Amino acid sequence: MAYFIQRLLSMAVTLFLISIITFTVTNILPGDVAMMIMGTQSNPAALANLRESLGLNDPLIYQYGRWIFGMLTGDWGNSLLFKQPIGPILLQKMTASALIVLLSMTIALTLAIPLGVWSAVYKNRWQDTAGSSVSILGVSLPDFFWGIMLILLFARALGWFPSSGFVHPNEDFLLALKHAFLPSLALGLGLMAHLTRMTRATMTGILSQEFIRVARAKGLAEKTVIWQYGLANAIGPVMTVAGLQMGYLFGSIIVMESLFNYTGMGWLTYQALLNRDMPLIQATVFIIAAVVMLVNLLVDLLYPIFDPRIELK
Amino acid sequence: MTKNKAPSSQLDTQIDTPVISLDHLRVEFETDGGTVVAVNDISFKVFPGETVCLVGESGSGKSVTSLSLMRLVEFGGGQITGGKMLLSRDEKQTVNLSEVDAGTMRSIRGNEIGMIFQEPMTSLNPVFSIERQLTDGLRLHTNLSASETREKALELLKEVRIPDPEKRLRQYPHELSGGMRQRVVIAMAMACRPRLLIADEPTTALDVTIQAEILSLINRLKRETGMAVLFITHDMAVVAQMADRVVVMYQGNLIEEGSVDDIFSSPKEDYTKALLAAVPQLGQMAGTSLPSPLNIPGVAVAVKPAREVIDTEKKTLLEVKNLVTRFPVYGGIFRQKVANVHAVENVSFTINRGETMALVGESGCGKSSCGRSILRLVEPTSGDIFLDGKNIISLNGRELRSARRDMQMVFQDPYASLNPYMRLREQIAEPLKNFGLATGSEVDDIVRDILEKVELPVSFLRRFPHELSGGQRQRVAIARAIVVNPSLVITDEAVSALDVSVQAQVLNLMMSLQDELGLSYLFISHDMAVVERVSHKVGVMYLGRLVEVGSRSQIFENPQHEYTRTLMAAVPIADPKKKNISNDMNFKPIPSPVFPVGHIPENPIYEEIEDGHLILRN
Repeated sequence: MAYFIQRLLSMAVTLFLISIITFTVTNILPGDVAMMIMGTQSNPAALANLRESLGLNDPLIYQYGRWIFGMLTGDWGNSLLFKQPIGPILLQKMTASALIVLLSMTIALTLAIPLGVWSAVYKNRWQDTAGSSVSILGVSLPDFFWGIMLILLFARALGWFPSSGFVHPNEDFLLALKHAFLPSLALGLGLMAHLTRMTRATMTGILSQEFIRVARAKGLAEKTVIWQYGLANAIGPVMTVAGLQMGYLFGSIIVMESLFNYTGMGWLTYQALLNRDMPLIQATVFIIAAVVMLVNLLVDLLYPIFDPRIELK
Repeated sequence: MTKNKAPSSQLDTQIDTPVISLDHLRVEFETDGGTVVAVNDISFKVFPGETVCLVGESGSGKSVTSLSLMRLVEFGGGQITGGKMLLSRDEKQTVNLSEVDAGTMRSIRGNEIGMIFQEPMTSLNPVFSIERQLTDGLRLHTNLSASETREKALELLKEVRIPDPEKRLRQYPHELSGGMRQRVVIAMAMACRPRLLIADEPTTALDVTIQAEILSLINRLKRETGMAVLFITHDMAVVAQMADRVVVMYQGNLIEEGSVDDIFSSPKEDYTKALLAAVPQLGQMAGTSLPSPLNIPGVAVAVKPAREVIDTEKKTLLEVKNLVTRFPVYGGIFRQKVANVHAVENVSFTINRGETMALVGESGCGKSSCGRSILRLVEPTSGDIFLDGKNIISLNGRELRSARRDMQMVFQDPYASLNPYMRLREQIAEPLKNFGLATGSEVDDIVRDILEKVELPVSFLRRFPHELSGGQRQRVAIARAIVVNPSLVITDEAVSALDVSVQAQVLNLMMSLQDELGLSYLFISHDMAVVERVSHKVGVMYLGRLVEVGSRSQIFENPQHEYTRTLMAAVPIADPKKKNISNDMNFKPIPSPVFPVGHIPENPIYEEIEDGHLILRN
């Protein structure tokens, strides 16, 4: 419990720093919120009035105070672009992106773990070289390339999956999965590369340890030795890296969701940036940071399940 | 020949049939540099109820031989390319392990042959419970039900004398001490009552008291079950205590085989003689007061026996007064200090010029922290350290740096303590440059001179550390230390990682350098026999405190403190006629040196029973 509180405290400090950075950056960026709302041809007096009523003439520290207070109390302000309260928009887009994030992580892990273990078992043999080549291919080609290739193959040529759009899981879960699948696969291939290399490195270390030899000396079958004795030790480190990949994933969904016209957080961030929707930019960046941190906290909290040596204190 | 070798065993009928019989075994490894023959031609037998010790130095092929018996050598890239390994199975049936298929081999491993390994800290899977690891072999090789396997696991833990066996089953390896883990590993190997137990350096990584416990445990299990034991070790003292018969290996070949008494009293081969001569024997130095070099046959010993220090008044070089070093333990929500590790607790001693003071004790006793505190590599909490009258504790950063010229350190691991990217010339010249002691061609002259002093050829100057053996590297480490002309050299387990013959050479080198340069050593070691050989003065450490200090003969010939006596009792003697490791040995585990913040330890009270012989009385 002490650990949990400590982690929450340090998370609060990080979020505070992030809030300052996002707030400052969006205020330094060229562009005037009042002008954005009223348009460039508007009457200067009306513009000044609006500025006054929005509190844009107050010292920055006041504006920041108002904004952070709003964020904490659930009043996230209105999006200039959508002319709607930000809270509900974020909630809906978050759901959409959660589907992609979970699906791509699942795809990445199901491919990466067996491939990594395989490479480690056949270290420095052709199987390992083959495995490494696949991962290098995954890292070296950008996500959007995979995205385009997948669209061409599975959407255009084969017609198995839709090439764009988003369906809310509450409406039709299967259709929602179908829409999410291609962007998730494209993202998953990029993630997989890193995770494969991580699994390979971790498993290589584990397989050279004495307890593996002891397990063999007991007469255990090779598959038990590798997939139980070995892999059980690799899960923790691999999950940690997967958690850290969340940050990278939220960066990648901006491109991927736009490519697939999938209206989630990534798409939203892109729209907000494109249209200088300051309140929306601030809120999305803040929320993405918070989610990434929460996921990592979750991984750390789960760690004792993977590794009994870790005590949370 | 075999009958008198098999001692007290009930299995009289089987005594004439060896459990395992190796016949011209040959093992090769394919490497990038071509085929390496790890085992060239080895033949020997092990009979029921008998312990055969396979001895040799690193690279002799002894571990490869044991791994071949389990056919585990293949997992490391080895290949059995010749010879037979005949295992006699239950019903008068024999099987050649070199030829059996993988499935049969799995039914033999852990069932008919059990094996224990060197590193108890890594032998157990950290993420599985003790119960799972103890029972999975049983589930594999027997038809016991779940509750029966659990019962059996409990029984096994009791058999290896683990306290609270029920609790242990639920625990994970990290919750057990090293000695306890090795007992679990032994229990695992014993689970299916193997006919042969292979022990590959099972006590090398353990403290001497734990080693004594484990050795006596293996002996008891052998007596009780009548199994055969193949014991692999580099430690001749352990051989003397454990073996019925000895097989000496060198570079993949069998050099000599014989009963333990014959090998120790009348070795035939030169290699065996050299191996035995290089082993310091506890008690061998009784009646002498000065250190003395080890005799290495075949090597011209250039070392004169150490002289009495010439100064009549014996000038003090180092004086350590009430040294305290504690390490904070942080915890809680704000990571505040919640406890202290009392690593060094009120330690005082002096070292005279040209003398060696040894600090001995088991792991965690604070001997290394004490050495590092003197150099201020770790910052002492309180106390005074006078080197040549100068108080080291009061020096500022720059003064400390120049003071370190007078006190140098040699560390345990010669593989990790040299920069892999530097040639030996730069390696040895570096300290000279650091202190600005020499420039230009002067540097080269000094480096060559030092290289000669540590008995390395000048041609080594352009070599990198990876081109050197462990012993050669340790000579370089010594050269680096003495090149700046220090008065004190602190050696932290400097010879522990070396093979005995190399260890003997390095020890002799250290003694001859002392003689030549008038060096003082603070010799930190866990090895009582080595300490007896090299030191003038000895301090025994326990839980951060010095429990007994005195001259070498006072400590070794008249130990007074209970802990010193325990240590002495646990050290195996390299003489099969003096078996001191016999019955079930059980020593008190060492308590934790971690105390809550604010804990004030008692001031030590010493009783001086003789001139300079102090014993802690509280």
